Amino acid sequence: MRMLRLSMVPAVLLVAASVARAQEPRLAGRVPDAARIQVDAILTAARTRGLPVEPLVDRALEGAAKGAAPALIVAAVTRLRDELAVVRGAFGEAASAAELTAGASALRAGATAAALSRLRLARSGRPLTVAAAVMADLVAAGVPADTAVGAVLALASDADDSDYLTFRRNVQRDIAQGAAPSAALAIRIRAAVSNADAAASPEIGATTPGVTRKRKP
Amino acid sequence: MTDKDDALDPIIDILREPAGLRADLTDRVMSEIERLPRPELDADGPVRWWRRRWTVRLSPLHGLGLAAALAALVFAVRLTGRPAAPTAPVAAGRTVTQFVLIAPGADSVTVVGDFNDWNVAATPLERSGGVWSVAVPLGPGRYRYAFVVNGAIWQRDPEAPAADDEFGRANSVVTVGGRGL
Repeated sequence: MRMLRLSMVPAVLLVAASVARAQEPRLAGRVPDAARIQVDAILTAARTRGLPVEPLVDRALEGAAKGAAPALIVAAVTRLRDELAVVRGAFGEAASAAELTAGASALRAGATAAALSRLRLARSGRPLTVAAAVMADLVAAGVPADTAVGAVLALASDADDSDYLTFRRNVQRDIAQGAAPSAALAIRIRAAVSNADAAASPEIGATTPGVTRKRKP
Repeated sequence: MTDKDDALDPIIDILREPAGLRADLTDRVMSEIERLPRPELDADGPVRWWRRRWTVRLSPLHGLGLAAALAALVFAVRLTGRPAAPTAPVAAGRTVTQFVLIAPGADSVTVVGDFNDWNVAATPLERSGGVWSVAVPLGPGRYRYAFVVNGAIWQRDPEAPAADDEFGRANSVVTVGGRGL
């Protein structure tokens, strides 16, 4: 009997060590214990599924910093985990944590998983972080979600990150100056398309093989 | 052509004749100039004072004191003229992002967000008049953040888009692009 007890010691130590390793050290002392245990479990499951845990930790720390109730913290982390999983399904296994986080923002703003998949296809091989973030930013600025998603998708094949940021900045400026959000977005999209058409038009008589269509919002 | 014009022609012809100057005029003018005094060289005025040579006599003790004073002056100039300590080099792919809040009545302002573990003490802003600011290097991404004034008052950035919030205190959001944006 004594030998049996002794043989169990390493197993108990192993389990304790694995539990300790699973705990996120940044949560200790900041997130209430009632929430921390559940959040740690969510993080462990997220790691197993290959989801990034950094945004989940950030969300828990945000709740703790704001003095939120434990149940609210757990609910927020759970919701974000689910959103990250949906976005990863749309963006693919290779998506970075920043892309997934931005995609989750777009999803919450009203973009559908199908729209995010279209964004992935349109920007094959290029980062999605800014494009997805601009979707969410436009909605935050008052643009209806479907309009914002449509605008970002319209620019997806040609715009680079700086184009997206300039486009968003222009729309926000127009809104700040009194334009209706939908009108501001429509004007800027029209300008972007006309700029792209002008840029894509070769000079008369010139042969320009390999001219790429480049929109400048 | 009128009769009046015909009457003026002889006068015009006379005026067109070259004036008759005496041959020694140039020599006489130059000799007058030579006779004038040269105030900048000969007059006993400020110019001469500046050209005067001075002899300074110092004892060895005074010489050492003067040398020490000069060394102290040079050291002080170098100390006060030194540029601010260089900021930490920004890691590749990161963009320095400026957070600014106008809060003339605040005693302290910090920024909290996804980039600093929402740690209220981690990133204080520096005051310049009523303007508080701090520069934070950020990688590409979308970051939620808020300002905390006087350690207790949460405030969103009035100049930035609002972000979703699940905890009852407003956030702002900043999107940072990649590749040097």
